[in-house]
Amino acid sequence: MTLLLTLMGLVGGILLGWNIPLRISSLVARYLSVAILAGLDSVLGGARAELEGDFDGLVFGTGFFANTLLAVGFTYVGDTIGVELYLAAVVALGIRIFDNLGALRRILLQRYVKRGY
Amino acid sequence: MRARSGQLMLILVFAVLGLMVTAQFRTEQRLAEVLPYRRVEELAAALKTAESERDLLRQEVGLLRSQLADTLASESAMWMALDDELRKLRIMAGVEEVTGPGVLVVMEDSTRPSTWSEDPNAYLIHDDDVLKVVNELRASGAEAISINGQRLTSLSEIRCTGPTISINGTRVAPPLTILAIGDPHTLETGLRMRGGVADQLGLWGIEVRIKREDVLVIPAFAGALTWQYARVVGGAKQ
Repeated sequence: MTLLLTLMGLVGGILLGWNIPLRISSLVARYLSVAILAGLDSVLGGARAELEGDFDGLVFGTGFFANTLLAVGFTYVGDTIGVELYLAAVVALGIRIFDNLGALRRILLQRYVKRGY
Repeated sequence: MRARSGQLMLILVFAVLGLMVTAQFRTEQRLAEVLPYRRVEELAAALKTAESERDLLRQEVGLLRSQLADTLASESAMWMALDDELRKLRIMAGVEEVTGPGVLVVMEDSTRPSTWSEDPNAYLIHDDDVLKVVNELRASGAEAISINGQRLTSLSEIRCTGPTISINGTRVAPPLTILAIGDPHTLETGLRMRGGVADQLGLWGIEVRIKREDVLVIPAFAGALTWQYARVVGGAKQ
């Protein structure tokens, strides 16, 4: 059920993004890339929480939007004061994404091993 | 209730994520198409063709001019006076190679090391520096002037084109060699006048070397002189 919902959302979003005539300037594209990283981080964190058994839809949703907006805001502040803060955002988010991926892998491996024996 | 809101959130989050990723993906693809370096390559190719075209036309100008000279030479003596007049006018127009005494002026960018507190632009030769020198030469009675092989005609421009200077539509860069035919003494003193052009440019370390020459050869204007708008006033007698 959950998987179906996520797939529905993802496919819907992709179709929408593919069909509406969006023209994004290269300036905005930078913000969008940071936002995507933040979003990916949140989604992976959500998946991890789901597997660990303490997933909460509301926490997940608010976390997703808050993180995305925060990352974009961070980049914007960096741009206004002339510091490439978005690099910091990219590094921090990248580390968290790898962290989450590692946790996911460990959980899934544990389950697989338990089921095997 | 809690579960339903969570499910809705799930759909929303993934929809937004999918939308962002797709939008970004499409933008990156579009940006790759209009990447500036491709534009530069196109422009370079266009420039190359234009330049080869110009060279061909220049050859044609030379050919036609020699034909014209042949024709003129073969005409009978009756045309001698006209021919003489024509020669004078051709010298004035700058379409004839001329020789005679004069001065050779070499202008070079300043070699003085620039300091952070000063505008480095002041140490480079600009179009108006060249204009000042040319103006002074003309005021001192120069009869023919060329800059780096570009003959100055009544229609020549001396204009800033970024790091180079455009003369007769051709880019020239320092060091500039200016040849001027006229009385060598007058020309030299005109430039060396106290507080004059050479003095002023020397302030900025721009070197202006002036040398008197007994025989200078100044090339003809290489392009084609055309008039699109100017007409002779007072009858169309030809």
